[in-house]
Amino acid sequence: MGDSSKQIREAARKLFEENKVDLIIGFEDGSLPLRATPCFIRRGEDAERLVWNSFCENNLATYLPKKKGKTGIVAKGCDSRSIVGFLKEKQIERENLVIIGVPCEGMIDRKAVEERLGEREILSVEEGPEEIVVKGTDYEEKMKKEDLLPESCRICTHRNPVLYDVLIGEALEEQKVADPFELIREFEGRTAEERWAYFCGETEKCIRCYACRNACPICYCEACYVDSSEPQWFGKSIESTDTMIFHIVRAFHTTGRCVDCGACIRACPMDVDLRFLNKKIEKDVLELFSFEAGEDPDEPPPLTTYKQDDPEEFIK
Amino acid sequence: MKNPYLPAAAKIERIVTETEDRSIKSFDLSFMNKADQEDFRFVPGQFAEISITGKGEAPFGIASSPTEKGFLKFSVNKAGVVTTALHNLEEGEIVGVRGPLGNCYPIEAFEKRNVVIVSGGFAFTTLRSLTRYILHDENRGRFKNITVIYGARTPGLLLYKDELEEWEERDDLDLHVTIDTAAEGWKGKVGFVPAITKDVAPSSDDAYVLVCGPPIMIKFTIPVLQELGFPSENIILSLEMRMKCGIGMCGRCNIGSQYVCKDGPVFTLAQLSELPGEY
Amino acid sequence: MEEKTIRKDNLMSLLADLTGSCQVLAPVRKGNSIVFEEILTGDEIHLSEYNTRKSVKEVFFPQRERLFAYRGQETREPSPPDKERIVFGVRPCDARSLSLLDFVFDGEDFKDPYYCSKRDNTTVIAIGCSRPMRTCFCTDTGGDPFSLEGADVLLIDMGETYFVLPVTQRGEGFLQGKSGFERAEQDQIQRKEEIIEKARESVGSDLNIERIKSVLDSDFDNPLWETVHEKCLGCGVCTFLCPTCHCFDILDEGDSNQGERIRIWDSCMFPLFTLHASGTNPRPGGKERMRQRILHKFKYFVDNHNRVACTGCGRCIRACPVNLDIREVLEDIQNPE
Repeated sequence: MGDSSKQIREAARKLFEENKVDLIIGFEDGSLPLRATPCFIRRGEDAERLVWNSFCENNLATYLPKKKGKTGIVAKGCDSRSIVGFLKEKQIERENLVIIGVPCEGMIDRKAVEERLGEREILSVEEGPEEIVVKGTDYEEKMKKEDLLPESCRICTHRNPVLYDVLIGEALEEQKVADPFELIREFEGRTAEERWAYFCGETEKCIRCYACRNACPICYCEACYVDSSEPQWFGKSIESTDTMIFHIVRAFHTTGRCVDCGACIRACPMDVDLRFLNKKIEKDVLELFSFEAGEDPDEPPPLTTYKQDDPEEFIK
Repeated sequence: MKNPYLPAAAKIERIVTETEDRSIKSFDLSFMNKADQEDFRFVPGQFAEISITGKGEAPFGIASSPTEKGFLKFSVNKAGVVTTALHNLEEGEIVGVRGPLGNCYPIEAFEKRNVVIVSGGFAFTTLRSLTRYILHDENRGRFKNITVIYGARTPGLLLYKDELEEWEERDDLDLHVTIDTAAEGWKGKVGFVPAITKDVAPSSDDAYVLVCGPPIMIKFTIPVLQELGFPSENIILSLEMRMKCGIGMCGRCNIGSQYVCKDGPVFTLAQLSELPGEY
Repeated sequence: MEEKTIRKDNLMSLLADLTGSCQVLAPVRKGNSIVFEEILTGDEIHLSEYNTRKSVKEVFFPQRERLFAYRGQETREPSPPDKERIVFGVRPCDARSLSLLDFVFDGEDFKDPYYCSKRDNTTVIAIGCSRPMRTCFCTDTGGDPFSLEGADVLLIDMGETYFVLPVTQRGEGFLQGKSGFERAEQDQIQRKEEIIEKARESVGSDLNIERIKSVLDSDFDNPLWETVHEKCLGCGVCTFLCPTCHCFDILDEGDSNQGERIRIWDSCMFPLFTLHASGTNPRPGGKERMRQRILHKFKYFVDNHNRVACTGCGRCIRACPVNLDIREVLEDIQNPE
């Protein structure tokens, strides 16, 4: 980990020296334990601030669409797949981008740590190669990092960036995940009433803060359907049917584009399960169109392409 | 406790399409309830929120003067959801009115002084209210010379054309109506409002000047007025902002620490120069 | 007013009994978060070191509130609350936020009947913070882990018992005629003082709010604003969880024949907040909106009401998806490099 931080700093300094970038977006130490925070540097001297650890959970690609000039960006596997999505959708120019790719073993799920501690405040965290040591006023606990992975990291098969200009460290061996959609299949097996009850329970928690939408890189629309007034598609309040429509439509708008980076579920302040709709759609897209988002910038998106052999069992 | 969010029902008595491009219509509204009529005591410069159930509310300066009894006049530019809905209504239909809101033109300060009014486009609404108020028989004597400079892009875009003709005939008012560029059939002044203001050169001696118009007009008129010697405390502007509650609670219309709906919309240039320039 | 004590189990029974005649709201565990909800038996109450996820403002200023229903030209306001309410387990930072919201909704010129009627019929029972969190900075904003402001009764956790401080007439009335309250003994008073002292020492930082205000007074064009907003996602998490943020939108739901006019929480961080129908927006980007947020809280509210519109509860710090820490922003303002 420490080595990666060093390498990222060196790479950043070099990029500024060679005038290859105007801005580098990376991570620096956060103000709280278990946090790193996005950082924007414009000079070689500031490269010292850059860090790499298992708290670098944000998908920095979300800052790219409006950037002018040449931008360097620190990208994990999932982040790089979001960047592929941008290239596919012509939101950025490849030549304006320098991708500092970082092979990633997964981020730590803060909520999992908090759950294990009950409600004891976390005062400091030290990260080692396999474990973290969490300390509070009257406790100290060791936890294995592999037990603290969020679901999207646990089933990740893209730990290495798919696109990069600089690679930090060595590429990792990709995980072999028997069934990334295991939880979705389990969910599909429930009755309609059970599934509906789950969905109602989750949407009840939503406070329409749009953290999920804003944290998501692929939600870059300047005029989001939520804000449309002529016509107004659905209500803006926390009335449950309106909230349900928000989540359903956002899942459909990100169909074939979501890379399951987990930014949405981490951003949510109310612990809404935001992945299950997206994951189900991801499964459908894979099964119907043999398509995975964020792989190849030249591969046309499935929902805007027509193939003779597209499945059409719905036409009877 | 009176609920400040409840609109009072008012009937549309009359609709006049003011401009030739049909973008601006004036609505004369009368309260359905006598009590609401009596409660609505306002001073020129104030505004009200017009409510259309199912669509929402929008703020409009009151264009009629308190001296015009029995109705309130609002001139509405068709721009968004509420204004479009309003434009689609017919005489006899009912809307809601919430108000009067905001502060007003400092009329007491104008007493025994000269009043200059400089306006452009459809910002003239509350200044119509003020002009009619001042010209009223009961009030005219309290003020000295009145000068009105009012311009629009074309003759067809002038508001209150009938009134302007009436006012031309009066000798207790100095009226200068102008259009931006020469047009067929127009015999009046031609030129942008800031330029005409410079020509007319109203005296800043013991005078207040009110300026209402599109930002570009205000931007070029203020220096002319300052050169004519009007101090910032005597230059009065009325601002527009996106509003919802109109009573200083929803937090959206502030410029610095001042809420345009409650501490405004009328501000002097001196007050505005204390505020951040985000408007 | 006389200081008292009550055994914790007696207070819980008292609250459970009161659910018969009042609506009693208290922190309740829901999944991973703690929120204020109506309790029925008292067993639901969940008190912890952590504050509630959402602040107590929603008890007085709900996220979605009907202003009136309409049918044709008839309007019908919601009926005023019929039951007395008790809100228990409010932290002093949240209780203080109510006095700040009072400036907005219970002002000299206009009173918001929806908020005011709820304030008038609710007794606020606060619990002081014996163990403030690292993200707490109430003392920097003029508050205190045992502040009395906004509370009707303040409780101090003494282990098996609560120390009970009635603050207002209403609070005094709450204690009247109810069993379980005993006169505080001298040693209990002593211990209470020690707990308060210890807690006070553990909160706060180097932030100097007056100094920050004077910097903000003169520097609307501070170059700091260019960079401070960069990592902000422009979502509404900070404003929605904040106990003092009060911005709202008014909408009609329904058609021209029938429906309701409602108000919902809005956020100055949202792009549409100040967008004019003409398309101009005085706050077009993140820079202007972040500047508005900080200036409103630490300058404009002070200009208008002599109080900072922040109670240092730390929710925005813990919940921000990108760990944008308002204390760091304030430090940068206070100590420009």
